Amino acid sequence: MENDEEMKKDEFSYPGMGEIIFMKTEKFIENVLNWGRRNSLWPLTFGTSCCAIEMMPFGTTKVDSDRMGVLFIGDSPRQADMILVSGTITKKMARRLLNVYEQMPDPKYVIAVGACNVSGGLYHDSYNTIHGIDKIMPVDVFIPGCPPRPEEFMDAVRVLQKLIKENRSKAQMDHERIL
Amino acid sequence: MKEYFEKLKGVLGNKVKDFGVDGTEYSVLLVDKKLLKTAAEIIRQDFDVLFMLAVADYKPKFELNYVFSSYDKPDTIVIRTYITDRDYSIDTLTEVFDSANWEEREAYDLFGIKFNKHPDLRRILLPEDWPGHPLRKDFVVTDEVRNWTGLDLKF
Amino acid sequence: METLKGIRLNVGPVHPATHGVLKVVVDIEGDTVNKAQVEMGFLHRGKEKMAEVRYFSNYYPIVDKLDYVSAINMEVLYASLVEKAAGIEIPPRAVYIRTIMAEIQRIMSHLVYIGSIGEDLGNITGMFWALRERELLMDLVEEVSGGRLAPMYMTTGGSFYDLPQHFDEKAEKALVRVETKINKDYNSMFTKNQLFLMRTKGVGVLDRYMVKKYGITGPNMRAAGIDRDLRKSEPYLAYDKVDFDVVTGEDGDANSRFMVRVGEILQSIRIVRQCLRDLPEGPYVTKTPWLMKIPDKRTFVRQETPRGEMAMYMITNGGTQPYRLKIRSPTFFALRALEEILVGVKVADIVVTIASLDPVMGEVDR
Repeated sequence: MENDEEMKKDEFSYPGMGEIIFMKTEKFIENVLNWGRRNSLWPLTFGTSCCAIEMMPFGTTKVDSDRMGVLFIGDSPRQADMILVSGTITKKMARRLLNVYEQMPDPKYVIAVGACNVSGGLYHDSYNTIHGIDKIMPVDVFIPGCPPRPEEFMDAVRVLQKLIKENRSKAQMDHERIL
Repeated sequence: MKEYFEKLKGVLGNKVKDFGVDGTEYSVLLVDKKLLKTAAEIIRQDFDVLFMLAVADYKPKFELNYVFSSYDKPDTIVIRTYITDRDYSIDTLTEVFDSANWEEREAYDLFGIKFNKHPDLRRILLPEDWPGHPLRKDFVVTDEVRNWTGLDLKF
Repeated sequence: METLKGIRLNVGPVHPATHGVLKVVVDIEGDTVNKAQVEMGFLHRGKEKMAEVRYFSNYYPIVDKLDYVSAINMEVLYASLVEKAAGIEIPPRAVYIRTIMAEIQRIMSHLVYIGSIGEDLGNITGMFWALRERELLMDLVEEVSGGRLAPMYMTTGGSFYDLPQHFDEKAEKALVRVETKINKDYNSMFTKNQLFLMRTKGVGVLDRYMVKKYGITGPNMRAAGIDRDLRKSEPYLAYDKVDFDVVTGEDGDANSRFMVRVGEILQSIRIVRQCLRDLPEGPYVTKTPWLMKIPDKRTFVRQETPRGEMAMYMITNGGTQPYRLKIRSPTFFALRALEEILVGVKVADIVVTIASLDPVMGEVDR
């Protein structure tokens, strides 16, 4: 469709901005919803260890997450759109992580921060860590690094926004969960 | 440093052995683990806290290094004793040094050493139903342990 | 009808104000805490077991994540341990470089403390300010080592790289900025702010008797009025060649713990300045083999880290790996005092009391 071509030019444009468009109602609603979802990603900060300290500069000055629509308010699973799992998840913590994740409203997105959550990383031979949280929950974006720089959190949010726009996030691919 | 040893020797006789500066710290070997509490009471006169408790597994025996420290003096003293019998138990020091409480719980958690008459002997770092004691030398980190997610833990 | 006496509340482990994954189970009656129980181990990563399968030089990245807020102090501690065990002398320039970097890291660690206590009190501007100043110093660390939070700067025998050119000018610029901010701006936000004083004065009192009972060390101990600092009493790096004061408090409450840390930042700035002035020329590292064997011996090292006296006890048996490495964590002992000092406080003050002890779960759980 022409409109898609038009929209790809500017990531932050929304349907109907300055032009007359023709599309199916379902598609239009989906586009508007995705536009809203991707530009107001409120995170739940699930900070357990080192990466949580790098998450603090991500939210404060210098690397300012607010300009991406990532507002660190609430810190409650009930008001969160995405969960930033930053830090090692141990075997004792796994159940608690799932418990928090299940309380979040749909659609929910997951960003796994740090080498520990990607594959085990530095603790690949430890007896009490989980080697990659994709073993226990669906993950949309992985951030490598031990710990990653605050700018990489920014990059992950951009990637997640792109996934949401293209309907490719794990929550959207599972249609039954989001109506 | 020597006077602490003399003080210990005055009460315990030849049940204590002087290592001198073994490695980097002044250490004393306690031959009989049953005398630990008596020794601790003597040490309490000069030292304030149990600074750390370092356990090492020399199968089949365990080595316990009690490091004591004081707030007024820079001295430290190491009391070393061995657990050789199969029930892996030793007297607790919590009545003498209150700071021993969590250090002993940690040793119980990671090594499975039982401290007799400890007021609150539960696991501290790992869940209650975690199988095994990981810091023992016979605990090997196999693929089975690594791939286990821990979701079936009751606790 | 049966009357309900009280409720049991779980604070943490998933709570933005518990500084990581600490869990405190409190029994509340009305608004007052009757009983508190601390539960930990949510970040137990098995570092002591991993030391037994790593070469001495390969353990540095894991040491970085012990106390991840002050990673260089951990590296200095572990490097001193290995050097003491292997009998390696480090050159005088390396001694000064270590002192400079350890003190810069101490300032950064205390700034995180200031920021997080600000956040917990709802004073989010304080957190923004503290982290803004921390980024200035973080740039220094990044320039020196190439890493941010886990710099991997120290190695056995000295440091990986020399200090870059014009480091002293850049450091001075950042230190002046931090100093003026603390002396001027932070007064209005923290030290002379009526709201802050009301929330922290008389909260969570840790007196001298309790400090000695639980074995608490570091700023938490000095806030209770005990004048003890390993940098003074058994000087280890260049601390016997520099001039600084030991900051002590009087009351032992959350406010004096805060003030001790603010004072320590200013003292650390003094130390860094003196070290940069006296920095000797020469080599910055003693070359050591990557794979080395340490004979059968026991080594004990303790140093003053931002959270208290941290110690390591290593048993070696002639191999390339330690036979056993035991890490003594200072906040592990301090957290036990929570079970006593939380009794009788209001629910809103639980968060302040926990934050004022400055726990970092990475070193508590190891």
